Amino acid sequence: MTEARTQILANIRSALTGGEPRTPLRMNELKARIESSTPKAQPQFEDDLLRRFCQKHVAVHGTYERVAAQDLEGAVLRHIGAHQVDPQLYLGAGPLLDAVQWSAQVFTYFKSADQHTQVAVSEAFAAIAETGTVVLCSGASSPTSHNFLPEDHIVVVDSARMVRHQEDIWPLLRNREGAVVRVVNLITGPSKTGDIEQTIQYGAHGPRRLHLLIVESA
Amino acid sequence: MSAAASQKVAFRERTTRALRDSNLQQAMGKARGGFIEKRLEAMAALPEFDETRDAARDIKDHVLANLDGYLELYEQKVIENGGQVHWARTAEEACQIVADICREANAQVVTKGKSMVSEEMHLNSVLEAAGLKVVETDLGEYIVQLAGETPSHIIAPAVHKTREQITELFHEHHSKLGYTDRVTQREALVNEARSVLRGTFVTADVGITGANFLVAETGANVIVTNEGNGDLTSSLPRVHIVTAGIEKVIPSLDDLSVLLRVLARSATGQEMSAYTSLYSGPRQDTDSEGPEAYHVVLLDNGRSTMLGGDYRSMLRCIRCGACLNHCPVYSAIGGHAYGWVYSGPMGSVLTPLLNGFDDSVDLPNACTLNGRCKAVCPVRIPLSDLLLKHRLEQYRRRLTPLFGRFLVRAWAWVATRPRLYQGLMALPLWLMRRRGRRRGALEHIPFAGGWTDSRDFPTPAGRSFIRQWHSRKGKS
Amino acid sequence: MNSDKIKTSTQVGLFVTCLADLIRPQIGFAAVALLEHAGCTVRVPRNQTCCGQPALNSGDSASTIAIAKTVIKTFAQDDYVIAPSGSCVDTVCHKYPELFRNDALWAGRARTLAAKTWELTSFLVEVMELQQVEATYDGVCSYHDSCSGLRELGIHDQPRQLLASVVGLELKEMNENNVCCGFGGLFSVKYPDISTRMVSNKCANIGHSGVDTLLGGDLGCLLNIAGRLRREGAPVRVFHVAEVLAGMTDGPAIGEGESGS
Repeated sequence: MTEARTQILANIRSALTGGEPRTPLRMNELKARIESSTPKAQPQFEDDLLRRFCQKHVAVHGTYERVAAQDLEGAVLRHIGAHQVDPQLYLGAGPLLDAVQWSAQVFTYFKSADQHTQVAVSEAFAAIAETGTVVLCSGASSPTSHNFLPEDHIVVVDSARMVRHQEDIWPLLRNREGAVVRVVNLITGPSKTGDIEQTIQYGAHGPRRLHLLIVESA
Repeated sequence: MSAAASQKVAFRERTTRALRDSNLQQAMGKARGGFIEKRLEAMAALPEFDETRDAARDIKDHVLANLDGYLELYEQKVIENGGQVHWARTAEEACQIVADICREANAQVVTKGKSMVSEEMHLNSVLEAAGLKVVETDLGEYIVQLAGETPSHIIAPAVHKTREQITELFHEHHSKLGYTDRVTQREALVNEARSVLRGTFVTADVGITGANFLVAETGANVIVTNEGNGDLTSSLPRVHIVTAGIEKVIPSLDDLSVLLRVLARSATGQEMSAYTSLYSGPRQDTDSEGPEAYHVVLLDNGRSTMLGGDYRSMLRCIRCGACLNHCPVYSAIGGHAYGWVYSGPMGSVLTPLLNGFDDSVDLPNACTLNGRCKAVCPVRIPLSDLLLKHRLEQYRRRLTPLFGRFLVRAWAWVATRPRLYQGLMALPLWLMRRRGRRRGALEHIPFAGGWTDSRDFPTPAGRSFIRQWHSRKGKS
Repeated sequence: MNSDKIKTSTQVGLFVTCLADLIRPQIGFAAVALLEHAGCTVRVPRNQTCCGQPALNSGDSASTIAIAKTVIKTFAQDDYVIAPSGSCVDTVCHKYPELFRNDALWAGRARTLAAKTWELTSFLVEVMELQQVEATYDGVCSYHDSCSGLRELGIHDQPRQLLASVVGLELKEMNENNVCCGFGGLFSVKYPDISTRMVSNKCANIGHSGVDTLLGGDLGCLLNIAGRLRREGAPVRVFHVAEVLAGMTDGPAIGEGESGS
């Protein structure tokens, strides 16, 4: 396979420059372009990020509730109660979520979701006002399966983690402490498909409902 | 010539069949307009759309001009993250690599997220021949897989199927799984597929996805879906394999944001698809789940050759499908008539380049050069100009019918001799005028049945403008 | 009317285009009338045939180059070159310079021609600043935007602006007015099935719009649409926009018999 690699790269070079080897100088220029990367061509929009975020989230069929940190459990129960779902919660991790003292009313699981999982509660790494998107990162206590297998996905959003443009999350990820984030999911609304008669139907393979609990920091 | 001739017949046969297929026409009629309106709405909501398209084009051009360098940087990152990168010159090599990985993993069941490159490789048949059970998980791909077909659209694989056809397909294939009711409503159909595929997702050994982008900065592959099937395919199985063309690499995460802004808007009129995910390697020590192995198969299959010629801009393509959605020819005949994986304007440009000019003579010609594809392309590929370029190339290679070329040449020879031209045209004009004067239109013209079988031909006035003008005014 | 003095001296060469020349000369006379009304002196060179599009679209660059050279020579002396067709003007303005990419001398000549060549309605509105015409047409019309004119030359508002000044004419937009009619030159005879489906869609949109007249700026498209409308028996009249703007609508429309069938 190294032969294929060599040949493909040689073909590219011969197509581009007539076959000159790529110089270390040029490679450093490309690296520098990546390292000094900055946003380009961003859309302009209103200043009230939270309002924009909520509007965009609702526009993609999401639901939300603005809650106080101490009312998170209540908000979770209200949502699953409204949809008559068992209070068996697959929990992720995050500063707000970790601080919740779950009562005896709920069963909590700290493990991967499976095909029978009804509800997962995650905490967003960040939220993007531009498109109403929540950003979820994989980690030891926040498995990616929580984002896709349950019927209901509840995501806690700290309004202090709200950014304006999508590009604003990249520095947050680059400067994050600890290991490199292996999986980053940008989630904008619940799962859907247009594959039958090009008409949107919600709940294709992922969560049928995406419910956000937005906690406004003091 | 014989290969070209047979393809030509085949294209015409496929076209005729498609135009007579009432299901296909019904489905395409329903789809027509929807994509276009949604894209217009999305554009209206983003005043910066055109400058974003310029930025997207510039990013892609920059990458292509430095493709080898970015591929190497990307590869380094994947390896740092614990993944493996495989390079394949041809579709066969790529299939072999994927089959070997599956065999070494003792895999039995493979789930697939939608990947046009794997369609280009004809991967499913190779894996099935190796004894694997391969399940497409994108709903549209799943539908066409049940039907024993291939996708007819790069983002809406089952756009050619009516709901009634899907009902029958599900009934035929799901009855044995216990789903004996014939469901007809959209919601019920989607739920049934969800339920059937759920078990497959969690038991699959290997998940194969494509990549919308490969980010050199982090080594991540990016997949964009609405259903979430790509994520279940990427994250649940023991092994994750990404198949991608070498042109998919981009420099940084900031570049990704620009391209994402034009991708979903152009494809479906969405600002963002439901799921945009970055996967950058196998599970780490700190992870509680995730694939044990992460492989990327980079496919060349003719792309490095395209890089050197007049068609480099085609490698900017981000597979959004806007050119298909806006092509009136595509809308009339559907994707399968094009005869290969890629259809519509982007397919008519790509297929001759990847599959050979000899076998795809009709594709660049079955086009009115109306330019709508070029106008909507998010990375500003001059698609209709490239189709015209293909015609020039076909002519150089003498691939078009000899008689047609002779006629055009003879006509052109006359057209460069205006007096002769005007003299030669006088008689046929006079004859046509005589025959069609009363009705105003001719119902039949010898040797022009292609026109008059379905249309009248408006009767010429009898005497050309130039002759009339100069006999009125005297010589100028 | 002060500016008329300057405009009287505007000299143009009319490139009538092959289809109008052979099939519907009235479009040529209409173009002359409109240009003269706008204050131009019009020359109609006898040495003109076609822009070469059929050869180019067949991939025959050598033939196209030969024809292009003829066109370039024919109109070398004119200050402006005007054609009543978006697709022929697109060929002259965008395809000719590209054809001579590797021939510096002819490339320069091609660019010179390209720079002074205009589609009729856009020239009248943008260069001659014509605001209105003196014409009457009693009918409800839809305008079909031909592809090259619309997308390569940006012709959309100009014909509509002039049509708005025609007394008695009501303009009503149809659905998909910017979608190709399926003509495509030789495409219509090489791939008649696809072409027929496309023109049938076009005719259906015309029918749904409820207009009695269809207008357009390219005779190729209009022959295709009129031919299909005739075959379907649809009672819609078809004219080139120049004919309506010049008030030359007393005779048969495109595809109509002399008794006005």
